[in-house]
Amino acid sequence: MLSHLVVGQTLYFGDSLFYILSFVLLMWIIKIFAWGPVTKMMQDRADKISNDIDSAEKSRTDAASLVEKRQAALSNSRSEAQTIVSDAKSNGQQQRDQIVTQAQADVQTMKQNAQKDIEQERQDALSDARNDVADLSIEIASKIIQRELKADDQKALIDSYIEGLGKQHES
Amino acid sequence: MSDDPVSTFQFLGLTFSTANVVSGLVVFLLVVAIVFFTSRKLAMKPTKGQNFLEWLIDFTNGILKGSIPAGDVGKFGLWGFTLFLFLFLSNEIGLFIQVATRSGATIMRSPTSDPIATLTFSLMTMMIAQFAGVWKLGYKAHFANYMKPFVFWLPISIFEEFTNFLTLGLRIFGVIFSGEMLLGVIWDLAVSHGIVTMIIALPIEMAWQGFSAFLGAIQAFVFVTLSSVYISQKLELEE
Repeated sequence: MLSHLVVGQTLYFGDSLFYILSFVLLMWIIKIFAWGPVTKMMQDRADKISNDIDSAEKSRTDAASLVEKRQAALSNSRSEAQTIVSDAKSNGQQQRDQIVTQAQADVQTMKQNAQKDIEQERQDALSDARNDVADLSIEIASKIIQRELKADDQKALIDSYIEGLGKQHES
Repeated sequence: MSDDPVSTFQFLGLTFSTANVVSGLVVFLLVVAIVFFTSRKLAMKPTKGQNFLEWLIDFTNGILKGSIPAGDVGKFGLWGFTLFLFLFLSNEIGLFIQVATRSGATIMRSPTSDPIATLTFSLMTMMIAQFAGVWKLGYKAHFANYMKPFVFWLPISIFEEFTNFLTLGLRIFGVIFSGEMLLGVIWDLAVSHGIVTMIIALPIEMAWQGFSAFLGAIQAFVFVTLSSVYISQKLELEE
């Protein structure tokens, strides 16, 4: 029917069969070697890219929340540090005051003690000196008396004593 | 060309043209080689060969997407890819390799410069379109499409199938055949008066060869585009 339809060329229908068979075979070979693996790879890549985009979005939000947290922690720690510093300052102030008061009290006590001691020492020294003077004077007196009270003197003394007795009686 | 003796052989009671079988085989092997060597070592990060192959696949898928509904493109992807690659190489190969026996019978040229090859492919497209229509819409809706917009449209619809079949096959044949024929004419000119005409013919030959290469690519593209259009027409219900 079509054999001489086109530009007088003879058509060989065996060729038609040959082309159909070779085309189907070619499709099969391409499917096995290239089409299957390549389209699968392309699909995998598309999936991977969409996954990557999702995970990138996720990590971006994660990073943002982390930054927020860090910011909060930072401001928190700043105020904390401020509290610590002010606490330490007031503590120091308190301690210093305490130490100064303590020192003043100590000094006062020490001063009083010292004065008391000095007074005591003075009293002791005075009484010692008085005793010493008494002893010394007694010693001196006894020494003088011992030397004076020789025989004559004793006699004179006794005499005078007796004379005195006589006078008393007379009166 | 019709005056030249044609080398033929008989097989299983059918007559084969040697030129068609040999050039068909050469193109077949070329396609297999290209596809085979570009698809080695597939990786997530494509290298040279894989890049080329993926570009080609995207390209033919793009042609199909132009007319076939998006949901059905995947089912015709392999067919479109194979068809485009085969036709493209068929169109180009005759521009660079033409072999004839001593008696003048061609045994190697573009397979698409013979109408039997192009009409075979066009017939294949028409059959795929019919099958696709039945597969998508069912027999009733598919054949009801022939009687739209009204019943008397039926003969025109049937006639249209034949004209589609013929124009699709003969368009690509005409372009490739004329391209090769003109190359032959220029060659005749080149050898007619020795070295002088050779020099004159050389730039003409180069220009025509380049133009034919361009036309071959265009024709392969047009063939796949029109095929997908014919298929998509069968995939949807006409109003």
